[in-house]
Formats: sequence, structure tokens, C-alpha cells
Amino acid sequence: MDTRPKMYFEDVDEGMPLPQAQYGPMDRLAYIPVAIILRDTNPLHLDRVYARERGLPDVVQQGPLNESFLYRFLTDWLHRPWDIRKTKLRFAANVFPDDMLTCGGVVTRTYNDNGEPRVDCQIWQENQKGEKIITGVATFTLPERG
Amino acid sequence: MNHQETPKEELKEVPTHPDRTTLIGRALSPVVYTIREDDIRDYLPVVGEEHPAFLSHEDSRAAGYERRVIPPSFAPFVAVNVLLRSFDWEKDFFFNYRTGTAMFGEQELEYLRPLYVGETLTIRAEIVDVYEKQGKRTFDVIQVSVTATDEAETVAFRGTQSYILFK
Repeated sequence: MDTRPKMYFEDVDEGMPLPQAQYGPMDRLAYIPVAIILRDTNPLHLDRVYARERGLPDVVQQGPLNESFLYRFLTDWLHRPWDIRKTKLRFAANVFPDDMLTCGGVVTRTYNDNGEPRVDCQIWQENQKGEKIITGVATFTLPERG
Repeated sequence: MNHQETPKEELKEVPTHPDRTTLIGRALSPVVYTIREDDIRDYLPVVGEEHPAFLSHEDSRAAGYERRVIPPSFAPFVAVNVLLRSFDWEKDFFFNYRTGTAMFGEQELEYLRPLYVGETLTIRAEIVDVYEKQGKRTFDVIQVSVTATDEAETVAFRGTQSYILFK
């Protein structure tokens, strides 16, 4: 259960950091249901020998799964999960089993869009070495106080 | 799909240095996708999604939704799953996995409404841009637009996904 305090539109300002969240260690056994759901049979995600033959230290976690943890970081913190409106993300590096993922962000703009209070932010995900895995921007709405 | 390479065998009809700009404007095959209950059931513990709205119609309604919603974190799974089925790597991208390397590039998604467990979406995609970039290696960026409509032909989400094809 996410314990980060919920915020209202009036509480956020440009430059304010979003409360971080950490996930992991990443579990290689999770890659099996993800491969089935995605219908992605690429052995790079499931076969360590295949991955090592290509110069990688281990199997590579599926990119959409990395993305899922970044989404969860944001939507767990919102009042309602579907208060998310947009994301624009760039995949920068691979995730491997046992990695820890830290997600964070900073508010870049608050505004009103056709009557809906909106917040733009930069968001990111990095591993335990501080390497950026995903960077990007997101837009969401927050409720106004009473 | 993060990074893929395969042995240098079986390269058939893919040109060595194809001009992929000829692909701009190509419409990919529409894909019909149903958000299945069992996929959501398998997905929730993988990412640790625990919001009650993801578990039942009643809890979703209590949270203000018309019926049971999926986690927003599953939406990129929908987009990726469908896009991977909307094109043929060789025919549509002039790309062969056995000799090439491909990665995700940028992804932009805009949600016009929540997505629901059990609903069926039709996803239409089109190659909207192709350009060459130079990093440590030279690569082509193929940008694909995607629009997901529901059974009432209302847009549920839309956006773009780019693929990086190393030369």
C-alpha cells in the first residue's frame, strides 16, 4: 500500500519534487507472465545463455515492465489512478534481475485545461547505480480543495 | 523488446542499407485487442498493483468509475502488444532480427478515458516518420502513430511509438 501523502492542486508548484518510490529487487520469474501477456517470445528476456552470448550480463527485463513501475510510481500517488492524462517516455538503458528501481519526478507546470486542473512534470526511473532507465514527462490532474 | 541480436544466418530479402523513408505514410494492419480478465489477474501481482478499483466492478464504481478499470500501468502493455502484432518486421520495416538489432525509442501516449477489463479495442497504426540518426552507431528511427478506438468508435488512447533499428 502506497503511504505517500496525497496532494491537492493548490499544494503543488513548479519545481516541487514528487515523492519518490522504490521497487525491487526485480524478479526474473516475473518475466514469464509478462512474456505471455505481451506475446513477446524473445529469448533475450528468458534465456540467460542467449543473453550472455550477446554480451549482456543476464536476461533483460522487458521494457514495458520497466515502464509499469514508473507508471505505478505516479498513479499510486494520485487520488485516482486514471487521473493520469499523458506520458512521453524515452527508454535509455536495460534492467536486469535483482535490480532496484527508484522513480522520481519534479513539477514543471501547473495550469487549467478546459476547466481541469493539470500538472506537468518530468519523471525518471534509475537503477541502484544511478543509471537512468527511463526519462520523460507526464501530465495528470489533481483535485482542488473543497 | 529492449535489445535483440541473432546469428548472421538466414538473411534473405532485406536490403543491406534499405531506404526506409519510403515507408512514411504506410498504414499498418489494424489489430483488434480484448483486455482479458486473466491477463489482468496475472499482471497485478507482477507489478504489485493493489488499488481496489482494479479488483472488482463494485470497487471501481466506489472509486467513481463506471466499471472495473485496468491499472494505467497496463496500458503500455496494450499498446506494445498490439503494435508488435500490427507490423511485419521484414515487410513493413525492412528489418531482419537474425542480423539486426532493434530497440524501443520514445513512446508518447495520451489517455482520453480509463480502459476497462473486458473491453475490445481496435488499434490502427501508421508509419508517420523515418529518419536517420548518428549515435555511437548509425540507426534509423521509425515513428509509428497509434490510435485505439472502442466499439463505439470513440478514441480511448492515442500516441506514437518509435523503434530504433541499428544499421
